[in-house]
Amino acid sequence: MAVDVARPPVSPARAGSSRRAGLLVIGTLAAIALVVRVADPAGVAWLQNFLIIFGSLLVEAMPFVLLGAFVSAAIEVFVPTSVFANLGRLPRPLQLPAAALAGVAFPVCECGSVPVARRLAQKGLAPSAAVTFMLAAPILNPVVVASTFVAYRGRDSLWTMVLGRMALGFVVAVAVGWVVGNTRKEDLLRPRPDDDVEGEDADRPRWARFASHLTGDVMFMGRFLVMGAAIAAAVQTFVPQTLVGKVADLPILSLVAMMALAFLMSLCSESDAFVASSFTLFGPSAQLAFLVAGPMIDLKLAALYAGTYSKGFVRTVIVVVFAVTLVGTMWMQVVFG
Amino acid sequence: MSRSWSPSRVAAGLVLAAWAGLFWFLLVTGRWSLYLSTRTFWVVPTGATLLTIAAVLRLASARTESRDPLSPRTSWTLGVIALPVVLIMALPPATLSGYALGRRSGFVGSGVSVSADDIASGQLSFIDVAAAQTSKEGMVALRARAGELATLEGFVWRETGAPADEILLTRYVVTCCVADATSAQVLVVNVPPGRFQPDDWVSVTGRIYPLGNQILIDASRVTGIPQPQRPYLSP
Repeated sequence: MAVDVARPPVSPARAGSSRRAGLLVIGTLAAIALVVRVADPAGVAWLQNFLIIFGSLLVEAMPFVLLGAFVSAAIEVFVPTSVFANLGRLPRPLQLPAAALAGVAFPVCECGSVPVARRLAQKGLAPSAAVTFMLAAPILNPVVVASTFVAYRGRDSLWTMVLGRMALGFVVAVAVGWVVGNTRKEDLLRPRPDDDVEGEDADRPRWARFASHLTGDVMFMGRFLVMGAAIAAAVQTFVPQTLVGKVADLPILSLVAMMALAFLMSLCSESDAFVASSFTLFGPSAQLAFLVAGPMIDLKLAALYAGTYSKGFVRTVIVVVFAVTLVGTMWMQVVFG
Repeated sequence: MSRSWSPSRVAAGLVLAAWAGLFWFLLVTGRWSLYLSTRTFWVVPTGATLLTIAAVLRLASARTESRDPLSPRTSWTLGVIALPVVLIMALPPATLSGYALGRRSGFVGSGVSVSADDIASGQLSFIDVAAAQTSKEGMVALRARAGELATLEGFVWRETGAPADEILLTRYVVTCCVADATSAQVLVVNVPPGRFQPDDWVSVTGRIYPLGNQILIDASRVTGIPQPQRPYLSP
């Protein structure tokens, strides 16, 4: 008779509590569906607007997170660790700009670059380079460059916006990487419960390991994406964009206001140029501040970063991105107005 | 060593399958247009395909050698991830309403593919009129057509204190998703007073007159219509 020695017994009490929790979750979801269906949110304007914006943020972002998770899982399963170890031996002054420029070849928005950067750091790329890549890719990739061009086509500020966004985005991403410095991956990445579980897949076929890493990334990012989208949708539902219009003429406050607005709105980097260009009360430098800071740090990303990186990383990104973007756009304000 | 179904992997696979189901649902019913622009429509079939692959891979690899029970914490996490699927599928078809007007910017013509030549000839659409308001060339082209008949569809909005026969015919312009929506409005006069409420969808036929930077329609016919299949304009 075969004896399954590898299986630790699961106590009946634990199994019972798992079953109860599962049923409670299913029951709660069913109750929410019933309430939404019966109550008809059309009668409550703010609720309907919140749900539509919440849904639209997720419907747009989820495929990009998934795309990032596919790339991340492929890197884990198919790319040998030696590739990243070799890159990791390059001097840091070369690694960071190279990592930022690598973003040109990764045409997805900011949500997709987070799981990829985590995986790159796990596989041996210097964490500072992985972070630089993560922040630069959503700004430097060709789709975003093209969308910025289209949004500003026909305006005097066209090349200021397109080239300025690329140049300042590059500088800010490298600056954050430089501040992250020699932080070890063990200190930068938050441990994930499924990191250990995946170990049991080591002797399984590649496709099964790919599936484990793919699902692990999606499930891990998914909860933070949902929370971030909910907060961003609430802000868009209750905070009027015109609020920032009062400071449009004030030199430094206009830059800060547009960065704060980009943080709160949590737009995709592939569409934010169209919204930035609609703030006609603000000059090109304030619009540029919106376009550089937004894809690097916003409410949705802050939730994703908080789940992916250690305590303090979100604060570092906020401080460095806002400070360098502010200095860069102040300089542009002097030159271009 | 024998393998058995892992509850946590099966549950994760089912949540991915639910998300895949949502994307197929949006694709088949056309409800994607309530959340995305036509420019980003491709995200829906891509998401549906990738999510289906991910769900199939997870479920196909859900048999494990070790016990992998579903903890209460994991159950609630999966519940949070599944919540948007439930909300979107339970929500009756709805669009961003007039409530959002005070919280969003106006359309300024960014990225619009309509040229002055497009405005100068052919049937005038809402996006033509919205685009004309954002450029000198567009307004010149529209002025040349002053007094022509046009039919536009949008929802009703009223400014506080506006005359009873005036409405602002409104559409949202969406580039990627509803979160980036900006508003485009046309002033309509000669509307039957009291017949239409804010957020009602109407079709307005009338003569179009560019006045300064504003466009006015002198309505000859205003009829209520159901919400269109594609309620948002794509630039």
